[in-house]
Amino acid sequence: MALLTEHAFAQKQFVIGSFILVATLALNIVYLTKISIPFKFFLPGILFFFAFVIAPIFFTVQMSGYKYQTGNYLDKPAALEQVLILGAQPDAAGTSFDINVGKTPSNEYAILVSDITNNKYFISTKTQRTDVPKASLKFDANGVAIAAPNFTPISAIDLAKNDAYSKINYKYEGKYYIAIEGQNSGGVFRQELSYDAKTGVLTNTATGATYVDNHRGNFAKVGSPSEILNPGWRAPIWFENYSRLFSDPKIRIPLIRVFTWTFFFAGFTVLSTFGLGLLLAMALNRAMRGRRVYRSILILPYAMPSVMSILIWAGMFDSDFGAVNSILHTSVHWFQNPMLARGVVLLVNLWLGFPYFYLICSGSLQAIPNELMEAAAIDGANPRQVFRKITLPLLLQILSPLLIASFAFNFNNFNLIYLLTGGGPTQTLNGEIAGSTDILISYTYKIAFGNPNLQDFGLASAISVLIFLIVASISMYGLRRSKVMETFV
Amino acid sequence: MNKWVRENLWRHAVAIAVCIFSLFPLYLVILSSLKTTGSLQVSSFIPHEISFANYTYLFHSPKAPFLTWFRNSIVIASTVAISSVFIGAASAFAFSRLKFRGKRLGIRLLLLVQMFPAVLAISAVYVIMERVYTFAPKIGLGSQGGLILVYLGGSMGVNIWLLKGFVDSIPAELDEAAKIDGASSVQTYWLIFLPLATPVLAVVCLLSFIGTFNEFILARLFLVEMNGRTIAVGLQQFIGGQYASNWGPFAAGSILASIPIVIIFLSLQRFIVNGLTAGSVKG
Repeated sequence: MALLTEHAFAQKQFVIGSFILVATLALNIVYLTKISIPFKFFLPGILFFFAFVIAPIFFTVQMSGYKYQTGNYLDKPAALEQVLILGAQPDAAGTSFDINVGKTPSNEYAILVSDITNNKYFISTKTQRTDVPKASLKFDANGVAIAAPNFTPISAIDLAKNDAYSKINYKYEGKYYIAIEGQNSGGVFRQELSYDAKTGVLTNTATGATYVDNHRGNFAKVGSPSEILNPGWRAPIWFENYSRLFSDPKIRIPLIRVFTWTFFFAGFTVLSTFGLGLLLAMALNRAMRGRRVYRSILILPYAMPSVMSILIWAGMFDSDFGAVNSILHTSVHWFQNPMLARGVVLLVNLWLGFPYFYLICSGSLQAIPNELMEAAAIDGANPRQVFRKITLPLLLQILSPLLIASFAFNFNNFNLIYLLTGGGPTQTLNGEIAGSTDILISYTYKIAFGNPNLQDFGLASAISVLIFLIVASISMYGLRRSKVMETFV
Repeated sequence: MNKWVRENLWRHAVAIAVCIFSLFPLYLVILSSLKTTGSLQVSSFIPHEISFANYTYLFHSPKAPFLTWFRNSIVIASTVAISSVFIGAASAFAFSRLKFRGKRLGIRLLLLVQMFPAVLAISAVYVIMERVYTFAPKIGLGSQGGLILVYLGGSMGVNIWLLKGFVDSIPAELDEAAKIDGASSVQTYWLIFLPLATPVLAVVCLLSFIGTFNEFILARLFLVEMNGRTIAVGLQQFIGGQYASNWGPFAAGSILASIPIVIIFLSLQRFIVNGLTAGSVKG
């Protein structure tokens, strides 16, 4: 681990490096001394938890306060570098030369330039240009100079190993320089943008326009703030990602639709899976022929790896190759119609989820003392009354944490939506990215990782913080009501 | 007879109806795995021809190193399951039995953090592992080692939570007795607690195994090399990727991959169900 730390620091990954360093120290201190007994039990768990759970969450929350999207990925220095590279303009004629890369006697990168049109040859370094008389040169078959005094050529293989040479601007004339365009060619460029590090102002030397940091992740033109230079950088914009959720109609309207559907989807799934599971548990809640067989068949959907079953269902409802259409002799486009697609999602999730509640309910039914029901029956209650007044309330009380957990799980049931419908159908024509079956989590995934031209990590992070708050408060409310938390007090 | 009908007929009717519902897709997938055409289309419920072409394809085609994928899945899932239970059990024991400052806070934090949508933390995990790759390629992005680490971290919360439920249900008298006899906490853990808890640890281990086996998104993000993929990612490529709608081999592959899981699950269902309820109900 010490070695890992060293590697990490060598690669300038200071945050990760320090984490490994702290982890190593902590492991040594805790296991070699008697400083804290509980920590001997905790430490490995805590370390993993911090590295892969807390740290990413922290990062996400942080990102939700930033402008972090396509065009604003880099940090400021890197973005500035890119802006300056883009600010380099070729000269009017677009001149380029044949070159060879080598080194000067003082071990500085240099290029041997052959300006064949003008019959001129020179060696350029970053700082100076030396003309070389033609007589002292060696040429290849195309008339390109390949060797000169005070110039040691570097082989193509060695150049490929280290590209430092290609980042240097070699001197040409006046403000113009030669930039490497390939191992054997260089173009004449001029830097039109100049950056003043002290004032933070970028000036276009050709047009005289000035650009300043607009505090929103871009350089914007003075006097015309909408003209910005790309790329921008990740800039803190505090709560703007959150306020956009409510103020920007392009975000608010799909978000509300997705939000409503997510609640309906999760709620309906809990009700339907619980209902069917309970019905089965009631039906099979007595010794009867074939019960074991039924039970084994009924839990098959739960025993199957869910990724497989979701993909199988997706195939079955395929409009061209799917089994459902061929059995019904129809050609319904199940995943193209919003209502049908939603129906399919609910049906598939019922299939996936009912065995769980069947197992849970049949276990809990046996835990309810029989005396209660017998007493009610003696008092003259019919079976339906017994069920409504005794069995169901008791069951709900026992199972409420599980029902809430199931709601929370389905609220974020990413795999189902992603693998079954991909969130679709989507009206892509008007630039919509939220599909009819998209739930919050899959919608957010699309915002963050979908179309590379429209990715917006900042907004996605803000939505995920919102999801977190919703799910956490529902679960906390549920747990408090079911009094599970009391066991910790 | 009349009484039997009244008492039992609806029970069988419900059970049979739902059994058909639950078997329907599975039956279709078996049928189409035995066909030669690459679709899930079914003209009749009785197969006219039985062909094992799809199965032989899986074992012989270089485009689909099925056995390698399967082995990857097993290796990754069992490494994660065993190590996470090993690490998690220690933390769960401490949460359940030891007294220390910040215990309540720790448990609440653990519970709360579980509710953060893990899918969204993926971008952050990706960035972290990308950076790790620059100095330790073997545990960085694109490696199975890295994936295992990420899984371990992600499963820690759930497993500690689940295991704590179990530990709470093991009577504390035993380790109190050990304490009176002069055993330290560490000794109690190794000599009393672990042997007692082995069956429940096995269940959590199994659940964790199945969970990891099922994981798809991270695996797809991490494992780009054909031979490094897990079975879920590999099979998804059949129908989602460049071999679009290659349903025959997919059907065969998903059956083969599911069989071991289904067998484990069915034979241990009693324990698994107990595990599912104990962890959540008791808290």
